[in-house]
Amino acid sequence: MSTGTPTVHRVMRSRWLLPAVLVVAGLVYLGAAWAGGKRQLGLEMLGVMVLAAVALLLARRNETVRGFTTADARDERFAHLDLLATAISGTFTICAVIVGFIVDIARGGNGGPYVLLAVIAGVSYIAALVVLRFRS
Amino acid sequence: MRNTVRELRTARGLSQGQLGEALRVSRQTINAIETERYLPSLPLAIGLARFFGLSVEEVFDVDRNANGA
Repeated sequence: MSTGTPTVHRVMRSRWLLPAVLVVAGLVYLGAAWAGGKRQLGLEMLGVMVLAAVALLLARRNETVRGFTTADARDERFAHLDLLATAISGTFTICAVIVGFIVDIARGGNGGPYVLLAVIAGVSYIAALVVLRFRS
Repeated sequence: MRNTVRELRTARGLSQGQLGEALRVSRQTINAIETERYLPSLPLAIGLARFFGLSVEEVFDVDRNANGA
């Protein structure tokens, strides 16, 4: 599609994208909580997500906020920092999963949800390595 | 990696924002390059050198002390 890529880039760089995602996520939380019989909790979560979206829109003039929230491919340093931060966050998350697994086992559990999370982390890491190996 | 971006920029009377705009990067990125906190990609290094009408080697130089050479 000759017009698909520019359109995708325009959407990805839109200042409205992340706030919209936050609001949509809040609506999904509301729907799930409502379905679970916790409408008040759902409304509170939606409120938090809407507040976060508004805060992002108000702070969009800030170069740092704009750089990290609009997927601005123009700036390679923001992309580099985003990649590093994602890697660090992933490492901390995996460490937390491993610690949670160990604690759960020590308490007589079977590893609970930690096993599934660890499998997802491991498989996605290996899959990413395989794909990236062919692309670069 | 040492560089002369700040000297080249100020000699032309440009602000970091103006240079960033010309190279389509943020002011913060220009600042980080000038203060040697960020090593630019090869395309950006070439873009910087071309902007000043110089070669990459004239703008960027390996810090011999840092490499222990």
